[in-house]
Amino acid sequence: MRDDYTSELGHGLKWAYLLGIVGALLAPVFYVIYISFNEFGFGARIYVFTVDWYRVVLGDKMLVASLEWTIYLALAAVATAVPMGLLSAKLYKKTRYKVAIVTLMLAPLFVPADIMASSLLVFFRHLNGIFELIGEALGWAWLTHWFELGFFTALVGQILYTLPYAFVVILITMSRYHPQQTEAARSCGATAWQAFWHVEFPQIRAGVFSACAFVVILSFNEATRTALLKGGFDTFSNVLVSQMLNVGMSEESYAMAGIMSIGAMTVIGSILIYTLVRSERLEREARAKAEPVMST
Amino acid sequence: MSAQPDTAVEVDGLSKNYGPVAALSSVSFSIESGQYFVLLGPSGGGKTTLLRLIGGFIRPSRGRVLLHGRDVGDEPPNRRPTSMVFQSYALFPHMSVERNVAYGLKLRKMAAPEIGRRVARMLELVGLAGYEARMPHELSGGQQQRVQLARSLVLESDILLLDEPLASLDAKLRKDMCLELKHIQEKVGITFIHVTHNQEEAMTIADRIAIIADGRLVEEGTARDVYERPRRRFTAEFIGDNNLLHGTVSAIAAEPGGRVKVDLGYAEVAVDATVAEGTDVAAGDAVSLSVRSELVELVAPGGAEDGARQTVPATYLEEVYLGLTTSHLVRLPDGSEVAVRRISEGGDAAPPAPGQEVRIGWKTPSARLHVE
Amino acid sequence: MSEDIATTVLQSAGGGRDVPASPSPWRRWLGENGLQKWAFYVPVIFLVLFFVLPMATTVVWSVFERTQFWMEPGFTFFAYENFFTSARAENYVYSMIHSAWAVVISFALGFPIAVFVRRRVPRAAQHRVILLFILPFMISELVRVFAMRPILGRYGVLNSLFMDIGLIDEPITAILFSPLGVVIGDVVSFLPFMVFAGFLAMEAVQPYVFEVCDDLGARTLRTFRDIIVPLAAPGIFAGGIFIFVNGLGVALVPIILGGPGAVNAGLIVNQAIVALDFPLAMAISTIMIATLVALLYIGHRLFDLTKILEPIN
Ligand SMILES: Nc1ncnc2c1ncn2[C@@H]1O[C@H](COP(=O)(O)OP(=O)(O)O)[C@@H](O)[C@H]1O
Ligand SMILES: [Mg+2]
Repeated sequence: MRDDYTSELGHGLKWAYLLGIVGALLAPVFYVIYISFNEFGFGARIYVFTVDWYRVVLGDKMLVASLEWTIYLALAAVATAVPMGLLSAKLYKKTRYKVAIVTLMLAPLFVPADIMASSLLVFFRHLNGIFELIGEALGWAWLTHWFELGFFTALVGQILYTLPYAFVVILITMSRYHPQQTEAARSCGATAWQAFWHVEFPQIRAGVFSACAFVVILSFNEATRTALLKGGFDTFSNVLVSQMLNVGMSEESYAMAGIMSIGAMTVIGSILIYTLVRSERLEREARAKAEPVMST
Repeated sequence: MSAQPDTAVEVDGLSKNYGPVAALSSVSFSIESGQYFVLLGPSGGGKTTLLRLIGGFIRPSRGRVLLHGRDVGDEPPNRRPTSMVFQSYALFPHMSVERNVAYGLKLRKMAAPEIGRRVARMLELVGLAGYEARMPHELSGGQQQRVQLARSLVLESDILLLDEPLASLDAKLRKDMCLELKHIQEKVGITFIHVTHNQEEAMTIADRIAIIADGRLVEEGTARDVYERPRRRFTAEFIGDNNLLHGTVSAIAAEPGGRVKVDLGYAEVAVDATVAEGTDVAAGDAVSLSVRSELVELVAPGGAEDGARQTVPATYLEEVYLGLTTSHLVRLPDGSEVAVRRISEGGDAAPPAPGQEVRIGWKTPSARLHVE
Repeated sequence: MSEDIATTVLQSAGGGRDVPASPSPWRRWLGENGLQKWAFYVPVIFLVLFFVLPMATTVVWSVFERTQFWMEPGFTFFAYENFFTSARAENYVYSMIHSAWAVVISFALGFPIAVFVRRRVPRAAQHRVILLFILPFMISELVRVFAMRPILGRYGVLNSLFMDIGLIDEPITAILFSPLGVVIGDVVSFLPFMVFAGFLAMEAVQPYVFEVCDDLGARTLRTFRDIIVPLAAPGIFAGGIFIFVNGLGVALVPIILGGPGAVNAGLIVNQAIVALDFPLAMAISTIMIATLVALLYIGHRLFDLTKILEPIN
């Protein structure tokens, strides 16, 4: 893309700017991590490295319990949002009503957390009321608790938050897949499911796994929807928010922020490295392909 | 059922609409077992749609597909006795050549040694023995198509569908592969249905050709039929290098074997009535004549005018050298252009000068009459 | 299921023309054209039930009567009156202005990056460069916004730095806990999204366009204004709306970085919920959703937002 007349200096400056923005977005986070390892916390004149604050956090029964809930929710979100992302991406490929489908799938992105959370809260409370009424009227006890605020309603909030991302990531991977391979498999005698599992899935696997990682991280990070929809339990980020609001910037909250960011960076960092290494390999293969292999 | 036992494919009133677009409108024909059948026509004409309807990849809006006399309307591709070769990108890129070809047999839970034997035999047939371990991206385009062919043939389905299988190959390779396809088909003896927009390809391999355009079946017949005796004007325009002349019928001979006279406006020519058989012409109808360019000649002035040959006046335009042949372009008095094609010979006489008045002519049976 | 298919295929392959029996009724039901086909609509059904329906019914709840802890069916515009006749409406308008600033700043900072990557980075490496922005995007917004406190605060990194180099004598306190802090928080939160949206939008600008512009001798700024922005407008607009509505509706940013006078719609809703005034929360949500729909409609009329989808087709 660069031509011989592009100024080297200008080009370098632009790169510096790009990296500078990434750095500026990341620097505060690194600073938080840095402080979280100081025995004396934020604002102290001296810095003594310690992991004590992490010990305090991980030794706190309530925090560990919240971490467990976070993990359950994340696993449930992956188990639901990723298959749904896959189904909707396939639907998008097939349907004539592409604009409608994509609008519906991406719309939740455009409804801010607090708006969606409070709407869902009110919706579920009404729904719960209706189900209780029906349950009592018919004497069906099993019907009464379906939409009580709790794990399920929190999960709905999380699915709404993560599904658009899962959909987009999988759809982008799928756009590189040639659908005639599915047809070729069908004409070899495969059922629709076999064709998907033997032929398509191996080729979009990377996208599905990235979607899983995205959903896990987004679910970990999500605070607002869970806070309103969760009912009785707390997730890690819920606790962090209430810490920040009630206690202010305590040493523990730095350590908690540290845990969240280090976790996310580890997962995303490994995916990025894997992706880069893989695309490097694919490129090498592409180069090998470009060279004449043999005569016909 | 109505189909004969040796009818491999019968389609009956088949239509496919995509929203308001009619990709295929009411197409009916049948294909005998063991034939090499070509669907030929311009891009967007509906050939792929027709092929995919036969293969079961899409459902018809109306009409039926019968394979060996059985209505397969409700069957998905994997339950039909068909198998398909695609234009490109259809090999499984994450599987070696061997695993690609073995895939269908594995699905049938065949024993591994038997699979190995069949795959080896098939790769031998398509000339790719020794390539088992290659990955698809390590093959040239032609080789990839051979692997696809092997992958389909190894299933021993009795109908093979090929959708422009040679279109992504270069001209020379396409010619070679074309003949090879024909030979392979003769060897395995199953029905091939081959889609192409390339008439040369179609002529080379086809036992029978169906011309498909605008979602309709225009004409169907042997390769020789559609080339030498096109019934429809579209066929004449699409196949071969035909010249079209427009006029009105001025007279029809009463006796059988007589001639139809067509008034071109600047000349009157006669057409063998046998040509018009089946077409229902009456005096005053607007008609077209088609004459292939290799059957038109520049007539020496003052040449004998007899009933065996029709001639019309024209103005010489230019000579176009095409390698094997040389084309002489002339303009008729009504403004339309006609090409006169000759095999190029070293010692060709000098052509007439541009602008010179000439006459062109053709043997009377060479002209075809089209009503449209 | 695969086994009996295998046998039927084998039979027909063996040259025998045995016609397999027509599929059993349950296979018709479970088959590709039965239930399997409907499986693909599960996400759509889910979204209609748990997204479209709750969003649409906010209007209904917003006219219900407020009770002490909840609401009861009724028809009153009390919540709307309450909103428009209190400081809330004013705050809503202010937060729209702050949000608009966040959009403008994000565009100015982020979109040139998208253009630069599309224009100067080799095609194969473009995605990798853009992936750099995934890293900050994937760190919790909560943490990133929270991290602005030790940076911008009275004793924060910026103030100590400026005081150390003698730029200022007194720490600046006007940044944190003010509208400025909220705008900064919004930019920090949503800037990566502008880079992604811009990058997708630039897909609409073919590389040759740059060459043509260079050929014609158009200056950078002119190229940018006359060629790139109009071509990439749908994507830019989508990214802009995303930042705008999130700046308007995410309460976390003003909660952590805002102060008195730095409130947004999300926070007002949040406070209404805490105060158990559910009809009010629903009224503001309704207004917010109406704002969003209006913006999307205008954008669609102006730029045809469906063009954004072209790269994925
Ligand atoms: N999936 C589809 N959706 C809408 N229109 C289609 C689809 N497939 C084919 N068509 C239309 O049907 C017509 C026939 O297409 P096709 O069968 O592919 O033609 P051919 O193979 O002869 O080039 C074309 O006008 C094409 O645009
Ligand atoms: Mg086609």
